[in-house]
Amino acid sequence: MVKLWRILFCSVLTVLAGCAGKGDIYRDPNMDFGAIQSVAVLPFSNLTRDNLAAERVRDVFINKLLSTGAVYVLPAGEVARGVAMVDIQNPFSPSPEEIVKLGPIIKVQAIITGVVKEYGEVRSGTTSANLISLSLQMIETQTGKIVWTASTTKGGISIWDRLFGGGGQPMNDVTGKAVNDLINKLFK
Amino acid sequence: MTSSTNFLNKTAVILFVGLLHLSGCAYTKGTVSGESHNGVGRFQIAVFPVENLSGTLSPLKEMRESVIKRLRTEGFPVLEEGILEKFMARHRVRYTGGIDQGTAKAFKEETGTEAVLITSVELYSDRVPPKIAFIARLVSTGDKPVILWMDGVGLAGDQSPGILGLGLIENPQELREKAMSSLLDSLMGYLSGEKGEMGIKSVKRKFSPKIVYRSFEISPDKKYTVAVVPFFNRSDRKNGGEITALHFVKELTRIEEFDVVEPGVVRQGLLNLRVIMEEGVSLANADIIFGILNVDLILSGKVLDYQDYQGASGTPKVNFSVLLIERKSRLIVWSSESYNEGDDGVFLFDWGKVNTAYTMTSQMAQAIGKIMVK
Repeated sequence: MVKLWRILFCSVLTVLAGCAGKGDIYRDPNMDFGAIQSVAVLPFSNLTRDNLAAERVRDVFINKLLSTGAVYVLPAGEVARGVAMVDIQNPFSPSPEEIVKLGPIIKVQAIITGVVKEYGEVRSGTTSANLISLSLQMIETQTGKIVWTASTTKGGISIWDRLFGGGGQPMNDVTGKAVNDLINKLFK
Repeated sequence: MTSSTNFLNKTAVILFVGLLHLSGCAYTKGTVSGESHNGVGRFQIAVFPVENLSGTLSPLKEMRESVIKRLRTEGFPVLEEGILEKFMARHRVRYTGGIDQGTAKAFKEETGTEAVLITSVELYSDRVPPKIAFIARLVSTGDKPVILWMDGVGLAGDQSPGILGLGLIENPQELREKAMSSLLDSLMGYLSGEKGEMGIKSVKRKFSPKIVYRSFEISPDKKYTVAVVPFFNRSDRKNGGEITALHFVKELTRIEEFDVVEPGVVRQGLLNLRVIMEEGVSLANADIIFGILNVDLILSGKVLDYQDYQGASGTPKVNFSVLLIERKSRLIVWSSESYNEGDDGVFLFDWGKVNTAYTMTSQMAQAIGKIMVK
């Protein structure tokens, strides 16, 4: 009987291990991330109903990234000037050629683009909570190659919210957590 | 021997007199034409028509009249209405939210006015309970307009209801008079020298910026000249960018380490060189501003929320980011993100609730100013 349980336990473990992936991060193994001293954060693409969601998240991300002290982030006004000079048609997802052109103009080693997929309140029955879902990618300006991507989802309805209500965490806190998570993934 | 001693004595006397004259010309914060008027004499003041940044109809004329009345009562000669109108028409002064260098010089030369009082209304709501907020500053005339005094007030009728609501103010006129009186007391305090320099007020911890980046380039021992450019406004509030910039001018003026350039001078500089800022200040824009205004730092930012509420229920909301660019390094030396709501940290009976975005923004800007020079 004990043997049977052991076999069952081992098979469950094997099945679960098979489900595990590398996660939602991609890092170019050949990239020297230590060489990146300054980055530009392009406007994020907004797939949510809140018109300002992408700007809010971008602002928080720029400030948090700067506050780490690890890299210098170019002012948004300077990035906008560079985008206008290179005449990038879609600043949310620039082509590799456009990135290669933009790099020397604004003098950065990498460019970060992003997509805000969810931002705001989600409902399930009578319960509601704030949720954010976003993904970022870093592109090297020398080659126009993607060297890092990551995504995160924070907030949402927890068991606690379902049982006791409360409306979840404030949107700013959820955004802060999501951005922190992505920055941790970048420096990991 | 005697003649050489006499010659030395004469030279010393001439040098001493020369030094006395030069010290009179020295530039100091809070003086008019080199001579301190902080409690000395009564000089002529021009009261500009009140600038309306509230986006709603406001009793601008009445506000201006009560300012003039109080100044006259206190014995300050106010520039006659007819002379002011003629001057403004002659120099085509349409913007009353600030004063540029040319106008300041002309004011002094043509009218003998020593200072101009500029008032901006930020909020006016006559719906019960009424709300009002405005910012005023006294700017010197002459070659270099300097902010001599700056303060503001934001009040709501239900700010201090007291026991059984006895402290409720339901009449907008009563609230306006109360606010005006508080602001003018501050001005008179400055003019009479009783309260001395505008000091840093205490600020609650909850208003501190939530994310901060501070470079080592800012030295707390050095004095900086700062130009505050209007914030990039992405909020629903009309003039949210100008209002937030004014708050920063007000709060940074209180700090000894900063010399803040009069916003009218900044505006004129930007207009003269046709500086257009898309999504904020670029380094090319910054170079131009550094050049024309000869400042060490440029403060700008973005306003994402600037909400007040009408009536009794609701809560104000403010969210902005601030950026400080330094001249020599052309780098960001300060970056921060601040957001607050009126009911932050309020758990019982609206205790500690903030009723106007004005009060919140003032505290948030003050908190930033304090950390900047720490």
